[in-house]
Amino acid sequence: MKNIDQILEHCKELAFDLEFSYAKNWKSAQTDRVLIGYMPIYFPREITHAANALAVGILGTGDRKQIIKGDAFYQSYICHIPRGIIELALDGNLDEIDGFIFPSICDVIRNLSGTFQILKKGKFVKYLDYPQNFLSHIGGKFYKTELLHILHEIQKINNIEVTPEKLNNSIKLYNINQRLLKEIYNIRQEYPWRISFENLYYVVRAGMVITVEEHNKILEDVLEFLNINNGEPMDKIKVVISGAFCEQPPIGLIKTIELAGCYIVDDDLLLGSRWMKGDVADNTDDPLNALSEAYMNLSTFSSSVYSVGKPKGEQLVQLIKERNADGIIFAAPSFCDPALLDLPVMQKACDDANIRYISFQYNENTGQYKVIKEQVGAFSDSIKLWEDTVSS
Amino acid sequence: MSNEIITLGIDVGGSYIKAALMHYSNNCTIIDKKCEKVRKRNPSVLSEEIIEYLLEKNNLKHTDIAYSASTGEGEMVTRKTGHFYSMTTHAKGGQFFFPEARTVVDMGALYVRAIKINHEGKVLDYKMTGQCASGSGQFIENISRYLGLAIEEVGSISLQSQNPETPSGICAVLAETDVINMVSRGISTQNIIKGIHLSIANRVIRLLSSLKAESPIFLTGGMAMNTGMVQAINELKTESKYKWDITTNDDAIYAGAYGAALWSGFRFFKLKEKKSIIYAA
Repeated sequence: MKNIDQILEHCKELAFDLEFSYAKNWKSAQTDRVLIGYMPIYFPREITHAANALAVGILGTGDRKQIIKGDAFYQSYICHIPRGIIELALDGNLDEIDGFIFPSICDVIRNLSGTFQILKKGKFVKYLDYPQNFLSHIGGKFYKTELLHILHEIQKINNIEVTPEKLNNSIKLYNINQRLLKEIYNIRQEYPWRISFENLYYVVRAGMVITVEEHNKILEDVLEFLNINNGEPMDKIKVVISGAFCEQPPIGLIKTIELAGCYIVDDDLLLGSRWMKGDVADNTDDPLNALSEAYMNLSTFSSSVYSVGKPKGEQLVQLIKERNADGIIFAAPSFCDPALLDLPVMQKACDDANIRYISFQYNENTGQYKVIKEQVGAFSDSIKLWEDTVSS
Repeated sequence: MSNEIITLGIDVGGSYIKAALMHYSNNCTIIDKKCEKVRKRNPSVLSEEIIEYLLEKNNLKHTDIAYSASTGEGEMVTRKTGHFYSMTTHAKGGQFFFPEARTVVDMGALYVRAIKINHEGKVLDYKMTGQCASGSGQFIENISRYLGLAIEEVGSISLQSQNPETPSGICAVLAETDVINMVSRGISTQNIIKGIHLSIANRVIRLLSSLKAESPIFLTGGMAMNTGMVQAINELKTESKYKWDITTNDDAIYAGAYGAALWSGFRFFKLKEKKSIIYAA
């Protein structure tokens, strides 16, 4: 096993490299390699992997870049993440990226895909819509067509044909990736002091900008480290974070939550990395169909996507129970329509299930955490001192 | 393990770090305590030094402490079992000093917070001053420094005032300018200091009023040790319609640390009951 501190430092550098150096180096090693930028909500990276392309997660600029040009594109009542992405595009940080996928997160992101087209960024820009009908012959067919469209666009760039064998192989690798991540989260649920959530976040986020093969190696090393009894347990409550699936909170805010008396045992940050609740079939004649079926039957819930027959509130309550969490922190970016519109529904489900929660909003460049620290500290104490449920 | 344990509470404040060792049982008693001004030292290192000092002085080892907890800027304390929010600890600490208290006012270096509590020390409601520095102990420290006074003497100097001059604004920056003007106008140090105390006391009274505070009220935090501050609050209370009984204690600055030590004991036995992994550790 490699030195864990070195691994974590490496992941941190990768996670916040706004120059995407790793991806650029990877591309320059072979002429038919392609870079595909995508936004963090679910996008089946298996198809890019099979097409000799690297899916590069674009998560905005956080608190690491001053936004000047990006502000000119958006009104004050729009969230922060598209401003940062525009800033990156106009400053040339994304110039090496060949194509862009904008999944259907919200209206703002849909319009961002249009803005990229107007700015003529990349060789193609695709707005990836999700089915709202979950029948295989309707929604499934639609979703498959969307994926085929992306594959054709990549093929136009590198002339590589994706065979079922290649795609099955890619699915296998991402299944391993998902299983490793699940195992890490499961161990951390029991022993959250073995790795801080901040460090776990770096590990997961690094996987959005590197090859799945390399990320799997990192995850194996981290898993090995987590299986060793290390760190001192502290008396904190266990919480789940909900609402932060697109614009990411600054690291300072994540640290503040853990320092104020909480262990974060599950979350929807970097949701695109942990979307699948089970393995995608990896040995079929029609792997695109397998991906499509997986989207409809195995994907987790999110405010961004349509859910039929499985109310999101119920799924959140189920997650809290599975994780044996003491409460929920609803942390949504300011002006995030999907998260904030779902909030009352989610809170009602929590009220009905007698689950404690708090909520606040943030921006990816929020710099002051005093109020959040007070709120989280009071929340933690109220559960530790006045509830029967304790972290165990 | 018996039902009597030793707990430790450490309160890392904006100006002072306070720590207390406690025998936690049905009749909790303080074993020892220590308070140090941070000055320009590293709070993390100073916290560790204070803990080591208390342990060594009382022939104790870290393993003798059943549960140690930080409060305030708790991230500065690395070796601990848990952390409690400063409002929770001041509420409990205030109740330890004065069990009948139904409102605790934490008057620290950075803000003033009025906390309504029940008979168990549970927080029922609270109000606190905003971001403005002019309602805090740090403001008094700044003014005393401008006037060449030690912080320890401002209370007694304030009591000598005959004709207090209050600053016109509530903004710390403007108030500091006011003080400079007062000095140039020849206003006495006693009257300036009393005016500053009355200005902060006025905020405390408004805070208590908006909280609909219940009597008796107990004052905690560094400013509670300032006799001039307590006098100013009582004077303004008498002028107002409120009939609150307001009191404090010479050790009220330790309320956060005592509260953390008390909650440590409570939490220890709760974890023991639950057979928690934290307890086993």
